[in-house]
Amino acid sequence: MNNMSPEVALNRISPELRPLLCSVVRNGRVGLDSTNCLRVTDLKTGCTSLTPGPCCDRFKLHIPYAGETLKWDIIFNAQYPELPPDFIFGEDAEFLPEPTELPHLVQWDAGNPECLLQLVKELIQQYHHYQCQRLRESSRLLFEYDSLLEDPNYGRNMEIYAGRKNSWTGEFSARFLLKLPVDFSNIPVYLLKDTALDPGEDVALLSVSFEDAEATQVFPKLYLSPSIEHALGGSSALHIPAFPSGGCLIDYVPQVCQLLTNKVQYVIQGYHKRREYIAAFLSHFGMGVVEYDAEGFTKLTLLLMWKDFCFLVHVDLPLYFPRDQPTLTFQSVYHFTNSGQLYSQVQKSYPYSPRWDGNEMAKRAKAYFKSFIPQFQEGAFANGKL
Amino acid sequence: MAASISGYTFSSVCYHSANSNSDHEGFLLGEVRQEETVSISDTQISSAELLQVVEIHNHDPCAQLFSFYDYAGKINEETLNSILKDRRKNVIGWYRFRRNTQQQMSFREQIIHKQLTQLLGVPDLVFLLFSFISTANSSTHALEYVLFRPNSSANWSSTLSRYNQRITLTIPNLGNTSQQEYKVSSVPNTSLNYTQVIKEHGAEFFDKDGVMKDIRTIFQVYSALQDKVQAVCGEVEQSERVKEKNQEDVNKLKQQIALRKRKTAEEERMLREAQNADSHSTPEENTEPSEASPLSRITFHTPSAPERPSTSPNPPSYADLLSQDDSLLSSSSPPTSAALLPRPQAVGSPGHPTPSPLGMGLGLGLGLGAGSNPVTTPSTPYLGNGDGSSSDSLDRQAAGQEDDEDDDDDEEDEDEDSSEYENLVSEAAHLPMVSASVLAQGRPAALSPDGDARGSQTT
Repeated sequence: MNNMSPEVALNRISPELRPLLCSVVRNGRVGLDSTNCLRVTDLKTGCTSLTPGPCCDRFKLHIPYAGETLKWDIIFNAQYPELPPDFIFGEDAEFLPEPTELPHLVQWDAGNPECLLQLVKELIQQYHHYQCQRLRESSRLLFEYDSLLEDPNYGRNMEIYAGRKNSWTGEFSARFLLKLPVDFSNIPVYLLKDTALDPGEDVALLSVSFEDAEATQVFPKLYLSPSIEHALGGSSALHIPAFPSGGCLIDYVPQVCQLLTNKVQYVIQGYHKRREYIAAFLSHFGMGVVEYDAEGFTKLTLLLMWKDFCFLVHVDLPLYFPRDQPTLTFQSVYHFTNSGQLYSQVQKSYPYSPRWDGNEMAKRAKAYFKSFIPQFQEGAFANGKL
Repeated sequence: MAASISGYTFSSVCYHSANSNSDHEGFLLGEVRQEETVSISDTQISSAELLQVVEIHNHDPCAQLFSFYDYAGKINEETLNSILKDRRKNVIGWYRFRRNTQQQMSFREQIIHKQLTQLLGVPDLVFLLFSFISTANSSTHALEYVLFRPNSSANWSSTLSRYNQRITLTIPNLGNTSQQEYKVSSVPNTSLNYTQVIKEHGAEFFDKDGVMKDIRTIFQVYSALQDKVQAVCGEVEQSERVKEKNQEDVNKLKQQIALRKRKTAEEERMLREAQNADSHSTPEENTEPSEASPLSRITFHTPSAPERPSTSPNPPSYADLLSQDDSLLSSSSPPTSAALLPRPQAVGSPGHPTPSPLGMGLGLGLGLGAGSNPVTTPSTPYLGNGDGSSSDSLDRQAAGQEDDEDDDDDEEDEDEDSSEYENLVSEAAHLPMVSASVLAQGRPAALSPDGDARGSQTT
């Protein structure tokens, strides 16, 4: 029953209700965390057990919200598909939205396939208001919320889950999920293309969990959509500072935002820098260029000759170029090593400064080649065999 | 709060629900009453418990869903009235049936419940939720029902309030099979047909006040028995009084006898002394002590005689409280009256004899009457004392000789008879004196509070 693929669910549901569920299952993205679609489980029927065919009309909908997953029961009647559904809001027995705030319920149109999805979105909105109301139990957290609300950058893209961590001890906890207003649009496309899934919207979410009402135990966590994560160098590359004790979100969140923005800027800059570097080399070495990465500008191969000695130079540009030095790999075209590879030598340290521009780097590189090649030649002749 | 539903109403709701091909809902009709239980414990603090009991008499199913409310869950009062009609005042709750769902009130049900509470003016409106769970292969189906009272306690945490809202619904005679008897349902039957039939045929069983005829008859029997018992009580009281009076007379006469004996003994002694003063023979002196001993014995014991009236078996209250004519009592009671001494017999049997003028009372049949009249007839038809002692003592007494033996016997009998009802002190004092004659009698244990002790001591 769990982890049911959408297609299976669609097959089992009553035909009249199928379009409604279709839009939910296939296109339904609700809330800030829209990387995962809404999930449907526990399909059951309200008809008698002798009713034939697919006649399921009630199911559980899993909705990601503020780091939690809400499990709401949605109850239709297969014999009366034109009627609007009923809801059971799982653990939130006190959540009772006002029907007047749910226009898609009041004017339920079973013929509109999007109707259920829209209704769910409206319910989520009401749920969000309900959770914000619950924050009133802790003045500290309420202050956090209000201060964030005032800031237009964060106020509109916030999900709050305020709940009791433990119903019996009554410890109050809350989680803030914020969408960080970082512009990812300038990230080079090649970086974002390399993901197996349909990436959807590029988003960075900051989740801050308050384990107690006095904000003494705070755990922040940064969530990036997969493409962004890859573009920025993987999850290990991104460390956010710990939440300062006694600090508040209105100070911390911009901090994280800035950090992320800087990283993104760096990556963008790096791309441009690399491009500049490659362009400079191209202009300097002209016909000597064998190949280069024209998308990401991460690699460059040169075929050079010095005193009738031909050699290849592979240049690998790191992600955080120009901060990090490019790696030069010299390779002989004549000599083989014992393992059958072309004899090569890697040079990671050579005169370099990140402050040089592309032209300067190309010139210096040329000079370095000239100085290094005799050494390499000797080495090739000594260690390699023809 | 407790709730009960009659078995047939419950099965009717289940039938309607199970036969519908979708969710089903309807109204519950009945009444709510308050039961107050006052419990009194040893600490003398009485505590009263108020219990609200909801009784579901009937149900009114709705023909279809959304029949009285719209998509937003807003109730249309006119439609509601047209559905309920005049049953509106009997509505105490509503029910809903849905298959394969959780036992929790849904969003729309909560909204409707709030509005119904307001519109119908029932503060404790209940909601009965049926859910029907079937296993995947349809091999097992379970019908679950929960009765909610959502309008209670709004200030609790959500988890607690969710479980606090549930009330147990009892269905009489359904459930505990260890109970062997069939309980009459407390939920009344409000069907019209039923009341009609009862009205028609009820006259055969009920009288005009609505009480079952059999009960009245039994009550009459009971009253008659009570009257008879009262009458017997009166008779017992009278006989007790007569007996007490007789006892007093007996005691007086005994005193007189004792006094006379003392006088004669004194005179004889003085005579003997005068005689002995002339002669110096010692054997006569020796006989004196032996003769004197019974005298001394007598003198030793006579002080106890006046004690007896105070320790008479009859409490003084009889004589004190009611002044009664003692004309019935005479010291010279005819011996023939002894024949009429009542024996213990069953009440209601025809052979119940009239109580004798002696008023000896039941089971008291003592030989006192005979004892106090030693000169009366030699034989009495009444054999044995009431305590079952042998009639030998009576025969001896009937001989009526004023000798030592008689004295002893008298003393004995006095001791025996009176000590049946008197305190142990006087009796224990008497015991050592009744040695030989008692053994000769071989009487069984007396009918006294310490009868067994007596018997063992004598044997």
